[in-house]
Amino acid sequence: MAGFADLNLPQGPDKKSLQSLLETAAHLGYSTVALNHVIDFKEKKQEIVKPVCPSELFPSLPIVQGTSKRIKVLTRLTLVVSDPSHCNLLRSTSANIRLYDIIAVFPKTEKLFHIACTTLDVDLVCINVTEKLPFYFRRPPVNMAIDRGIFFELLYAPAIKDSTMRRYTISNAISLMQICKGKNIVISSAAERPLELRGPYDIANLGLLFGLSESEAKAAVSTNCRATILHGETRKSACGVVYTVKKPRKVEEEETTLPACKKAKTQA
Amino acid sequence: MARAEAAAATFERRVLRGAAEHQYLRVRLELPDGGARPSVAQLKQLVVSALRELHGEVGAALPVDILTYDAKTLSAILRVISSGLVKLWSALTLLGSYQNRRCAFRVLQTSPFLLALAGNSRELVLD
Repeated sequence: MAGFADLNLPQGPDKKSLQSLLETAAHLGYSTVALNHVIDFKEKKQEIVKPVCPSELFPSLPIVQGTSKRIKVLTRLTLVVSDPSHCNLLRSTSANIRLYDIIAVFPKTEKLFHIACTTLDVDLVCINVTEKLPFYFRRPPVNMAIDRGIFFELLYAPAIKDSTMRRYTISNAISLMQICKGKNIVISSAAERPLELRGPYDIANLGLLFGLSESEAKAAVSTNCRATILHGETRKSACGVVYTVKKPRKVEEEETTLPACKKAKTQA
Repeated sequence: MARAEAAAATFERRVLRGAAEHQYLRVRLELPDGGARPSVAQLKQLVVSALRELHGEVGAALPVDILTYDAKTLSAILRVISSGLVKLWSALTLLGSYQNRRCAFRVLQTSPFLLALAGNSRELVLD
């Protein structure tokens, strides 16, 4: 079973608040989180900095509740694109972009949404949840994105902060569900404070409100996040990722500690 | 013959298809340090207002009971009819403030059986 993941924790300058966010996320049961670095091209002179290595930031990561493992911290880059020329950056083989684990785009217009779904080499397409949708989702780009293994990201922290944003979040989510039929959805937080984070099962329940089925809602916080991370890893390699996992020792091998006389009998 | 009839009388077939009448939730309210702690009546009011905010009057009319409430740890056990679980849970999830201060409801456990809330398997230490 894939562990729970929250692919959007905003990376602010304040290290202390980030640490408390990580601790809360681990306590709630998230086994993977991604620190999000947002670049808005509207503001001038935005440079893509190298991702900060999480192990440098935090020498000791908190332990995930219910397991004995430490929380896994990834890096993520979100590009807010409002003009087609901004996408050139993604096509060029910029060295710093390749260092991030996950790359997401936030398209502002329908044309850019189409480009992001069909041609751009990204892992996530962010859906606007803080205002009324500036365009309608159409079936061809969404289907193309599902075929390419790109996921759509919905955020829930704005819905907790404000009741108008809550309305937009739910209505935009429902209109997306009508087109994508609950496939390839990732729900993440974008929480700036620990009190805006919610547990993974709470979010799976919230997915029901967005029009997902129970299994799709749970996948939106677990398996789909894992698929996104693996999709990000394939960008660094040629075409695929293979993991090798050490197999647990068989029972027979453990019996080697038996006395020598017994062992000899079974061999004969 | 008489014995068979007696046997038929002793057994009764009952089928429950997910027909638990109520669902129970163990929740904990998280408040920033130094905030006013709600009394049990205020907690009920908070839950109903959360339901009203997300689901309107129909949500506010949902029968929710607070079975226990510990003001020291701010944890409570709620009971709700089964069909209203998703509504109550989502309303608690999206509740963000209490008396204009930030707050969060942590749903610790849900179960159709009250006894199941006596222990939490997620807090077991596994070696």
